[in-house]
Amino acid sequence: MTATEPTPRATPSVPTATATSAAAATLTPTATRRPSTFRQYRILLGKDLRREFRTREMLTSMGIYAVLVLIVFGTALMQASAGFDVLPVAGGLIWALIVFTSLLGLNRSFSHEKEEAALEGIMLVPLDRSVIFLAKASANVLFLLVVEIITLPLFYFLFLSGSALAATFGLAIVPLLVGTIGIAGVGTLLATITVNTRGQDVLLAVLFVPLVFPLLYACVAATSVALLGGEDMMATFGPAVALAAAYDVIMILVSWLLYDFIISA
Amino acid sequence: MTEKPNIFDRLAPALLVLGALLTTAAFILNFTSAPLVQGALLPDNGLAVIGGQVVTNKLLLSQKIFYFHMPVAVTSFVALLFTAVFGVLFLVKRNSHYDLMAKVATEVALVFILMTMVSGEMWERFEWGVWWTWEPRLTTYFILMLLVIGYFILRNAIDDAERRATYAAAFGIIAFIDAPISLMITRLVPSGAHPVIFRTDSGLSTPMLIPLLLAMFGFFCLAFALYRFRLRQQTLKARLDALKTNLED
Amino acid sequence: MDPILAEIYSTILPAAPYVIAAYALMWLVLLAYVLVIVTGQKRTEKQLAALEEALNAKHKQ
Repeated sequence: MTATEPTPRATPSVPTATATSAAAATLTPTATRRPSTFRQYRILLGKDLRREFRTREMLTSMGIYAVLVLIVFGTALMQASAGFDVLPVAGGLIWALIVFTSLLGLNRSFSHEKEEAALEGIMLVPLDRSVIFLAKASANVLFLLVVEIITLPLFYFLFLSGSALAATFGLAIVPLLVGTIGIAGVGTLLATITVNTRGQDVLLAVLFVPLVFPLLYACVAATSVALLGGEDMMATFGPAVALAAAYDVIMILVSWLLYDFIISA
Repeated sequence: MTEKPNIFDRLAPALLVLGALLTTAAFILNFTSAPLVQGALLPDNGLAVIGGQVVTNKLLLSQKIFYFHMPVAVTSFVALLFTAVFGVLFLVKRNSHYDLMAKVATEVALVFILMTMVSGEMWERFEWGVWWTWEPRLTTYFILMLLVIGYFILRNAIDDAERRATYAAAFGIIAFIDAPISLMITRLVPSGAHPVIFRTDSGLSTPMLIPLLLAMFGFFCLAFALYRFRLRQQTLKARLDALKTNLED
Repeated sequence: MDPILAEIYSTILPAAPYVIAAYALMWLVLLAYVLVIVTGQKRTEKQLAALEEALNAKHKQ
């Protein structure tokens, strides 16, 4: 950690700790009545967002990393002929960018909880463990969406400004949203697993990429046809988005069910 | 401590013999009684009479790989089903023996996935003339292989036995659910760049079906026998390790 | 040989090495796993022997 950032270790007002004590405080007056599940969710999510708002740790690192990936893409395509059209592979490149950036973010999303033993603090509060999953996954969705909002226009500016985008390019938002939700859902479960292992960064990638492959496949297909357009674009776009959504529902449900076991271990 | 006589352990050698016999029978019938499948039409409407039957297509030997390839693939998936079931049992009952069973089942699954991959590669190299193409079933199996390898990397990265068992169980379950979705998505999403290039060799005649089914049951038996042998060895090792730590205390 | 028959059987010989290789490789993978099991068994037996020895030495003291 650099000196400019507020070090949570030194200051007593650690965001994670305050949230925990806040959640605990609401319990004490009426011990019989817990705060509603939605309130627990809001407190946990607010804790992550506040922490990010103060340190800007995740967004800065993810944003810079995304730009670096764009530079690598640019270098990779540099030797192509002058009139080379990136558009047919743009969908794939966008998803490569998102997967790599999300890996970075997912890795960090639990490591700071681990450092401060903040997760143990949260675990002491008698709340439904799957709420922790939903809150973490939502935070990851939000961070990823913010990074996408910043980097995708940059991607257009750097690679696609000469290409003729199809009129349907706006539809690409649908697979982007569905894919981001799925990545955050599965990724949150796997990040919780890998944070307790040796070599966590590599292991997360090893488990995450094959597991998220079906979603990636569907989202690349949907994004590509949305950018390219064409007569039978809907024949691919429809099933791809529907299957990606089905993946989201099934995998998030399974992750949500398994989360209690994982975080208690 | 006396070892409980386990019905499965007593069955395992018999199943090994049965599996060996069945797969050998399947191998012989595959190359003798099962007819060659017909490929591309002959040029210029050519035809010939072989063994009293009119043949208008080229005959293919490469399809003979299919008689072992498909049963092996099915077996690998059944083994993964066991991984998921033992994973659920572990999470519910918290008995470390289920973790061991899940681990051994996944090992067997990896062996059969590798067998599927190598036989598939040979067929593909001859029929399509390439070592790799991103064809749906091929891709799915590749991903499945990576998931199973990831399972073992995950196990190796955790020291605490209880935690390792829980994480492995969860990952085994989610990987087992992921695999069919992967197959479904890669097959149902039309791919713009590459046409889906596989023939469905459905409608197998009875002489073709017999070696296929024999091989399937033979590999089930073999897989189960191997699973029991390995499990027995691993259980012994676990007991030995427990004994050692007991003595050291 | 009849040219039509030659055409009918034209892919059989080129395919044969691949078919043989496929079966041989499957066999090899299976055998490799048997080897893994046997090696594991041997190692366990060795550990058991070492444990026995250590126990015997303890009793003699």
